[in-house]
Amino acid sequence: MGNFAALIHNENIKIYSRVRTWIMLIILAVMSALIPVLVYFTGNGDADSGGMGVWDNFQVSIAIAFFLNTIFTVVIASDSVAGEFSWGTIKLLLIRPWSRSKILLSKYIALVLFSLLSTGVLIAFGLGASLIFSSGSSEGVAGMNSSWSPAQYSFLVILCQYIQLFLTAGIAFMVSSVFRASGLAIGLSLFIIFASGIFSLLFNPDRFEWARYLIFNHMDLSVYINSDTGAGGSTLGFSIAVLAVYYALFMLVSWIVFRKRDVAA
Amino acid sequence: MKGSETMPNTAEKVEPVARLQGVSKKMGSKTLISDLTLDIPAGQIFGFLGPNGAGKTTTIRMMVGLISISSGDILICGRSIKDHFEEAVANIGAIVENPEMYKFLSGYQNLRQYARMVSGVSKQRIDEVVELVGLGARIHDKVKTYSLGMRQRLGVAQALLHRPKLLILDEPTNGLDPQGIRELRDYLRRLCQEEGTTVFVSSHLLSEMELMCDSVAIIQNGRLVDVKQLKTVGDVIMPIGETLFEVDAPEAALALMGHGVLKNGGIVLAATREEIAELNAKLVTGGIKVYSIKTLARSLEDQFLEITGGEGIG
Ligand SMILES: Nc1ncnc2c1ncn2[C@@H]1O[C@H](COP(=O)(O)OP(=O)(O)OP(=O)(O)O)[C@@H](O)[C@H]1O
Ligand SMILES: [Mg+2]
Repeated sequence: MGNFAALIHNENIKIYSRVRTWIMLIILAVMSALIPVLVYFTGNGDADSGGMGVWDNFQVSIAIAFFLNTIFTVVIASDSVAGEFSWGTIKLLLIRPWSRSKILLSKYIALVLFSLLSTGVLIAFGLGASLIFSSGSSEGVAGMNSSWSPAQYSFLVILCQYIQLFLTAGIAFMVSSVFRASGLAIGLSLFIIFASGIFSLLFNPDRFEWARYLIFNHMDLSVYINSDTGAGGSTLGFSIAVLAVYYALFMLVSWIVFRKRDVAA
Repeated sequence: MKGSETMPNTAEKVEPVARLQGVSKKMGSKTLISDLTLDIPAGQIFGFLGPNGAGKTTTIRMMVGLISISSGDILICGRSIKDHFEEAVANIGAIVENPEMYKFLSGYQNLRQYARMVSGVSKQRIDEVVELVGLGARIHDKVKTYSLGMRQRLGVAQALLHRPKLLILDEPTNGLDPQGIRELRDYLRRLCQEEGTTVFVSSHLLSEMELMCDSVAIIQNGRLVDVKQLKTVGDVIMPIGETLFEVDAPEAALALMGHGVLKNGGIVLAATREEIAELNAKLVTGGIKVYSIKTLARSLEDQFLEITGGEGIG
């Protein structure tokens, strides 16, 4: 029996030997770098009136590039299990001396590694371009009213964005292994991201007690950077607990379904 | 390879490589396989024969753990595929229906994928297997550029990689050219004789089975109909049944030969190998032209159609 690292290596090969993956990473790098450049050239560029500082510029880059990052990670997550079914390769994959649980885990780990890589690319290119293209004078970040330094603040924002991406990818992974259809997984998880704003308006935890337990009202943890209470007066701890329960549920459903499923054409 | 020659004689004492014990498969209200009990003896090429929709693929899926077993159990080398999946499946190399591979990888990269999942498959072993299935230099091309037959060969390669004790092939000749079929048959024989691998091969190509298998199990409508010994393991003397002599003057030939019946422009009679040679000499010296001598052993196909009643699907 080989070792588990080999399984993850296999999954990585499946991700990175596809041209698609590299196109997505290049688009992500270009977008992350392009936004600070555009802001620099289209902004007022007037250093005296404040202009756009390094961290302001970086914030704009993150806000936009993370959308792309989420979409791309969801694409990878959706193909992870569903791809094997639609290619028919699942039959040859599952007849190796490895339990289905371990195969699923290796797939999930490879997905998380991809999301870390793409987020790394986003930060490197976004921050790099922001450092080069900034009017340089203003030192803070607009809208920041706490004791954080701009760098700390920026990375907290990234962390919150990443948590949101991580959960969305978890949903995509679950749908992918339950329905074996990558299109559905992509569609459904992206719908959830775009609709979550509307849902949290409709099902406002201030109006409905039960809405406090909806995932939409907790996915964006960045509200806690500047405030102690979030939607409906919940605390950071409560939000994290709700997210953790949902996350555990997504993983459990993926695992149970994948482990028990009959693999017949 | 002296030792292997004596092996078939001891084969009966060896525990069967695979045992299907009262296996049933239900999907919804439909029973696809009912109460299938079958032992696959070690060191044989064992055929699994049945018309379309008989349940061959379904049985194979259960044997490799792709689908659950509704009732009964399957033991591979004494290990239950249900309860000890990893240990049991480690003894198996398989193709289930068409061997689909990662199209965006090369054939070689595909084999590397499977090699990494077991221990002890060296680069050298991969090259050896590639050589065996005759993929040659094309192994480094992307699988999406492969023809059906080449994919089938790659499928056989991945199944052989880890030297499994039991090789399960679901219609492996599908898509192979006559040359490929012949090669497959030859190396399955070799594998069986030299490495003692047991081969379980499904097909509805009856003539194929006859050429290749030691025994066949016949399945129809999800039920085992019959298990037939085709020839004793390792036997070189095929029992000779009816023989047809195709000659220019059947009447005169019949008079010379003494017995037999006129049929298809020749004479049909039962004869041993030695008798055939003698009769042939007699005819030739008698001035009769002998165009061909054919053995007319009642083919498996005839028997098969007889058993299954020549029914269609279902
Ligand atoms: N997923 C499924 N759900 C319901 N019935 C199925 C399913 N897969 C197969 N069957 C049915 O099970 C029966 C056996 O199918 P199976 O594929 O095992 O046949 P087979 O012997 O391999 O046939 P063939 O020679 O055509 O490959 C068929 O009647 C088929 O319709
Ligand atoms: Mg079949």
